[in-house]
Amino acid sequence: MIELAQVVQAPKIDYQGLAPLFSTIGGSLAVLMIGLFRGRFVQRTLVPAVAALALLVAMGMTIANWEAGDSRPIIEGALAIDTLALFMSMLFYVTGLATVALSLRSDVQREVGAGEYMALLLGAISGMVVLAGAENMVTLFVGFELLSIPLYVLSAGYVRRAHSLEAGLKYLVVGSVGSATLLYGLALLYGATGSTDFRAMAIAIGDTVAVTDPLLLTGVALAATGLAFKASVAPFHQWTPDVYEGAPTPITSFMAVATKVAAFAVTLRLFDYALSDAQVQWGPALAALATVTIVIGNAGAIAQSSLKRMLAWSGVAQAGYLLAGVVVGTQLGLQATAFYLAAYLFMNVAAFAVVIACERVSEHGDGIESLRDLGRASPLLAWPMTIAMLALAGFPATAGFIGKFYLIEAVVAGDYAWLGIVIVVGSMISLVYYLRVIAVMWMGRFEVELPSFPPRRVKAVAGRSPEADARAQPEVASVAILAAAATIFFGIVPSPLFDLVSDVGTSFGGLV
Amino acid sequence: MDTSWYVVLSAFIFCIGAAGVMTRRSPLVVLLCLELMLNAGNLALIAFSRMLGNGEGQIFALIVVVVAACEVVIGLGIIVGMFRRRLPIDVDQMNELRG
Repeated sequence: MIELAQVVQAPKIDYQGLAPLFSTIGGSLAVLMIGLFRGRFVQRTLVPAVAALALLVAMGMTIANWEAGDSRPIIEGALAIDTLALFMSMLFYVTGLATVALSLRSDVQREVGAGEYMALLLGAISGMVVLAGAENMVTLFVGFELLSIPLYVLSAGYVRRAHSLEAGLKYLVVGSVGSATLLYGLALLYGATGSTDFRAMAIAIGDTVAVTDPLLLTGVALAATGLAFKASVAPFHQWTPDVYEGAPTPITSFMAVATKVAAFAVTLRLFDYALSDAQVQWGPALAALATVTIVIGNAGAIAQSSLKRMLAWSGVAQAGYLLAGVVVGTQLGLQATAFYLAAYLFMNVAAFAVVIACERVSEHGDGIESLRDLGRASPLLAWPMTIAMLALAGFPATAGFIGKFYLIEAVVAGDYAWLGIVIVVGSMISLVYYLRVIAVMWMGRFEVELPSFPPRRVKAVAGRSPEADARAQPEVASVAILAAAATIFFGIVPSPLFDLVSDVGTSFGGLV
Repeated sequence: MDTSWYVVLSAFIFCIGAAGVMTRRSPLVVLLCLELMLNAGNLALIAFSRMLGNGEGQIFALIVVVVAACEVVIGLGIIVGMFRRRLPIDVDQMNELRG
């Protein structure tokens, strides 16, 4: 025993850096326990309040930890803390808070049980935080699964509805294929570089391992495929529309935003840090993936009549834009991707909040028809949706425009000018389906041509007129309005966000 | 014996698993094939760990075993949920979501 104690040294743990993670995991356990108490107050008010509190505390501690510069270890060789991880964590917490608000009145919370629902949500957020700070393949894989497994359960949240179960099983199978592929890729990378540690990998590549080593390249390809599944990058995106449609809408909005941010956080760290010396090898491959994703995503969205499916395809296209920022492997690309992820969060949360508000009162469910004449019926919901659609399409004076501009600047500076052209062409195509939504909301008297869709029977919430929905669901409307306001604010005054992402750019010392 | 043969074997197992996921119709068999894919990764990790002479791969493989168990539990839970709803346990008939 004594000999063992001498050989095994406990790792150094920086508890201050680890504090946000304690807050989300502790919050997850706390809501699970509190949720055991029956009673309206506990289920409807206390559990969401504790979950929101845990997220706010984590946010505060993340801000306290903010410090630009190279990454510092929290748990030696497993988790690191740097501005990239902290910035992404902030995005997860903001999305988490929005999701808590959006699910307050959702029936899925009652079906799953408020405690379990919030515990799973906070568990997924913890997984994302681990993933964003992973310094090691093992931590990466654990974070990846900790984020995925709660989401599989939440997608199947309507346990009594066939389409939700189908979405859950599809997500599980496709997600697990992604994880298995990622794992095999990581195993090959380990075999090639001789270490599971990112820093040691970065040192080994180009030094003891040639960048053209077949084992290394196969590993990179498989790991990229695994991450592409999670980020819904084409051609690994087929699950996205189905799962987004079948999952409960608050969970869809969480998956659409937070999962994508997490997937890109880890892609940035793996490619721009651990594998940055092999950029010549993986750059063109990722550029090809980005092109395919932009084209397929935008083409797929045109034919959709369900808003959730349309936003899913649009999310595929947006993943293509984001991937373009990873391709170049420069500090500018890193900053542009981080900026666009923040903009993407605000645009999508605003859009999904409006979808949730309308879906609850409309007989059309999440069909585009549910938005008909929304401009007159409740402008407080129509404006956020309009802003979100314009921002997703990249209109000036929105954060979406600045984000795309920044991405294009990064790809042009990184000698991928043609990829910039692909982004512009993709945005042009995307106007077709984004503007259709705006037309349906505001041009009530004119017939807007919509893709035909099978009749579906959705029971509207009884006793509520669409006119009253903004007032009847104040939390959903305020999430929509806040997110849309942030989209406009960062479109007109982007400098606060610029300052943050320029700190993020300093995370990886080796990048130019 | 050369450890590279173990890596080749793991590659074969991975491909068998991937092919099974794509062609099998029963979700239960699909879950089995997913396990094959994950365990192919484990075999590769352990083979490399032996080849390189460090323990990191073995620790990784142990953690993967735990994670894989969690995934299967969720998968089986959903399948039981479908069975209770008397939905067809057949991947080809899961086409409620499309468009």
